[in-house]
Amino acid sequence: MNRKVLIAGLVIVVPFIVLLVMNLGRDPHKVDSPLIGKASPPFSLRQVGTPAVVDIMSLRGKPVVLNFWATWCVPCYAEHPVLVAGARQYADKAQFVGVVYDDQENKIVQFLAENGSSYPTLFDESGQTAIAFGVYGVPETFFLDADGKIVDKHVGPLDPATLEAKLRLAGAFR
Amino acid sequence: MVPLIGRTLILLSLLAAASGAIIAFTAGSRKSVVGALWARRFAYTYAILISSANFLMIYALIAHDFTVGYVAQVGSRATPLWVTISSLWSSLEGSILFWGLVLGIYVFVATWTCRKHYPEHLPYAIAVWLACGAFFSFLLAGPAQPFHTVLNPPMDGPGPNPLLQNHVLMVLHPPFLYLGYVGMTIPFGLASAALLVGRLGHEFLRPLRTWLLLPWTFLTVAIVMGGWWAYEVLGWGGYWAWDPVENASFLPWLTATAALHSALVMERRSILKGWTVTLVMASFLLTVLGTFMTRSGVFNSVHSFTQSSIGPTILAFLAVSLVWSVLILAMRVDHLSAEGQIDSGKSREGAFLANNLLFVLFTFTVLIGTVFPLVVEAVKGVQMSVGSPYFNRMSVPIGVALLFLMGVGPALPWGRATKQQMIKALVPPIIGGVILLAIGFAVGARNAWTLLALFFGGYTAQVTLREMWLPLVQRMKGGAGIGQALVEGQLVRGRRRFAAYVVHAAVVVIIVSIAVSSTMQQSTEVQLMKGQSAKIGPYELTLQGVETVSEAHREGVLARLSVTKNGKPSGEMLPRMNYYAMSKDPIGTPEVRTTLTHDLYLSIMNIDERSQSVGLHLIINPMVGWIWIATGVMALGGFMATWPTKSRRNEAILRDAAQARGGEAVVES
Amino acid sequence: MTFRHTIARRFVLALTLLMLVLPLAAQAPERSDEIKSPDPKWVVGDPAGPPRTGVELEKETARVASLLRCPVCQGLSVNDSPATMAQNMKRQVRDLVAKGYSEEQALLYFERAYGEFVRLEPPLRGVNWLVWAAPVALLVIGGFFVLFMMKRLQRAPKNVEVASVDSATPGRDTLPDDEHLAHYVLRTRELAYGWPGGLSPASRGEGGEESR
Repeated sequence: MNRKVLIAGLVIVVPFIVLLVMNLGRDPHKVDSPLIGKASPPFSLRQVGTPAVVDIMSLRGKPVVLNFWATWCVPCYAEHPVLVAGARQYADKAQFVGVVYDDQENKIVQFLAENGSSYPTLFDESGQTAIAFGVYGVPETFFLDADGKIVDKHVGPLDPATLEAKLRLAGAFR
Repeated sequence: MVPLIGRTLILLSLLAAASGAIIAFTAGSRKSVVGALWARRFAYTYAILISSANFLMIYALIAHDFTVGYVAQVGSRATPLWVTISSLWSSLEGSILFWGLVLGIYVFVATWTCRKHYPEHLPYAIAVWLACGAFFSFLLAGPAQPFHTVLNPPMDGPGPNPLLQNHVLMVLHPPFLYLGYVGMTIPFGLASAALLVGRLGHEFLRPLRTWLLLPWTFLTVAIVMGGWWAYEVLGWGGYWAWDPVENASFLPWLTATAALHSALVMERRSILKGWTVTLVMASFLLTVLGTFMTRSGVFNSVHSFTQSSIGPTILAFLAVSLVWSVLILAMRVDHLSAEGQIDSGKSREGAFLANNLLFVLFTFTVLIGTVFPLVVEAVKGVQMSVGSPYFNRMSVPIGVALLFLMGVGPALPWGRATKQQMIKALVPPIIGGVILLAIGFAVGARNAWTLLALFFGGYTAQVTLREMWLPLVQRMKGGAGIGQALVEGQLVRGRRRFAAYVVHAAVVVIIVSIAVSSTMQQSTEVQLMKGQSAKIGPYELTLQGVETVSEAHREGVLARLSVTKNGKPSGEMLPRMNYYAMSKDPIGTPEVRTTLTHDLYLSIMNIDERSQSVGLHLIINPMVGWIWIATGVMALGGFMATWPTKSRRNEAILRDAAQARGGEAVVES
Repeated sequence: MTFRHTIARRFVLALTLLMLVLPLAAQAPERSDEIKSPDPKWVVGDPAGPPRTGVELEKETARVASLLRCPVCQGLSVNDSPATMAQNMKRQVRDLVAKGYSEEQALLYFERAYGEFVRLEPPLRGVNWLVWAAPVALLVIGGFFVLFMMKRLQRAPKNVEVASVDSATPGRDTLPDDEHLAHYVLRTRELAYGWPGGLSPASRGEGGEESR
């Protein structure tokens, strides 16, 4: 038995195996947002189908649900009714805002005509707002508290229970 | 019926492999001749069983038998025959089954060719091969069962992953990759056997080298083919992105290349035995790591299979293989003590040692870069990336240093070089270096690393060509005609040597092409309406229109562009976007026109038939075609060196020599 | 915002547009007149350099973009990827570079939103030092190890047991005393090394390139 070889070999091999075991079940696509706990980036965008411009800063004072979506995104179809209903249900507790990016305005207008809406939808034509929020794909939803601080981020379509839980986190029921 | 037969075949192959491994190991440790015979029989049986399971699956795919789980998963009546057959390896379960086929073939051929030699080593080697076979049959029997029965078979299936249907290279790439990956099992078994027997002499070095060289050659082709596929299909104009899975195929190649070189030193000097064995084993272990990386879903990669449950199982196999390797190395490596010595560092041996250091450094760098995000996430819980800028920064100096050593090593003599010899060997090739440097500078190369690569490329090319030429000249001086000298010197007696230099020459071309193509690319992005044109380099492209074409398994929207080169009409190019019935996202197919000096590369960014407009990425990539050509040459060199020698004559001479001395035969074979 | 409407596909566009405005009108938030993208100044401060244009802008944009990971792709850089997301990010890079932001500032801007994940080249901080230093350390340690091994192998006594003939070290022109055996050694060398007559080039006075 060559002790040097044994020790050298085990020193290389064992931590390596441990490392791989620790990472089993890791999802390489899941990346935490560094924005949580930070102030929301300031931006203003035009509302879809109108010349009106909405400034995110003006929405302070109430928690904000900021939903990034697009008409080509299949899960967004499932999520849309949840948001429409949620915006009505929590009308006095939180402000819902949709941001569409990587899309065409006429398609958004058509989508909203077909599926209804109960909150303003903004169009991020340049995609720069999505970038400032570190959006990977759609749908992604950010929850801002009354001071404009980002409290949480949800990746993928929302369901009513999650929506309520995250709103609570954002201080909507205080 | 078919699923049942398939499952039976897999279970039987598992049984044959597992019991064969035990019998073979026992035969090895007891030095039993009958046991060795049975070990071989079990090896053949395993090979036949697992191959039959594969042929059954191919039959089921062609017959569209949707009662077979795997066929229901990847089969489709709409796909052409070549896609149907290649869907055997297009998805997880099938790829493991195919792994079994390749392993079966390797085990069969290796057992057959070694059956009359190495009576001590072979049973141990068979034991290791069959243990690996048993593992993959176990995967097929349980976690990755391709033959499960579908109770309500569908009328039609979705077909394989559209990316795999998009280019014929994808049909060729996986088999080559598997021939490379799986093939590393054979030298691993031989190296383990050498350790277990405790003897690694010249006689056993031969099968070890041959069986390392063969998968090495396949792996070389597979790696480049993967790059070529990415280049022709993915549309970003490059061929290598340092993606984890690309790295996974590159890692064993690096250690295997190092092993091929250290084996040469071992052959000459009887040193570095334990080291060579370690490298051979590492090559296999890295293929298992690569398998884990591709199939566990832990790494972010374009090439990986979808998230699967077999990750932990493969990791267990990797852990067992790693611990096994460390243990037998530690226990037995002292039996492989160096018998020889070296005279001086200023010699070919010295260059080989430096070469080995660099290859190990290269392997380590790529490995740590690939797994580092896992380390950081485990330690800090923060996701980070190690991407191409890191790998390029690290690998360019190593690559250039290796290129330089490729020139210095063969120029130096074995043993010890005097000062005059050094000067005589190392100074003249500077001419070659300066010539290539001047050519590069004249055509506009300004990047410092590119210029350095050109200089060393020219230097190494001159040394390599001289080494190829020298035996010929010597033979002709010795009175042989040119034909005889050529055949004897390059193709028969000096074949291995000549083949090695063929590979070296090809590598020089590849490194220079990579250096030039990655630093001298021209690219531009344009948005064209029908009738508009764009210019790049000597080309002018005019959009003639956007059309839709329908094929059985897909629809494509293509841009028809007329091309003029230096003002002269030069045909049409048709980059396209393909839409597959079962897949949401379109897949672009860039159009590449390859010439000897450069490629014109067009890929679609956006396309709209209604408005007859297209957004194009235009790229001129210099010298890329040479990478593919040189790889072909490299493969030729590799196969040339692998081709079995008629060794009887040599053996007879050695035996006679020994007998003349009154001793026993010194060669075992 | 208490009105209800049923989801009907036959709704006319005009009506919809009106309804899109309504919720906001009810809310009556303040409105500004211009679209303001998030200002990088807010994150990374003032530009470090002067504004850039033309070829310099394009070059710097491509260089910085190649250091950014396209978040929706598989390991491709923003410069290489054809994805819309990457195109948007590249446009943002161009904006930043044009305003005079340095490479580090531009990277930090993206890092703030996407995390360190977005940088393809790990920045030199904290544990990241390891990934840069480890290969260098291996080169140094390995270099010393090779030198050490070389010294040791040079001192190693020649093992006579293995020598089936006296010239255990190949390449030497020494021959066994036995004439018959010497003949075979020469033939073996001829076969093994391709030397005519089994004589090394050095011994034939052709210089020592091939072997000694």
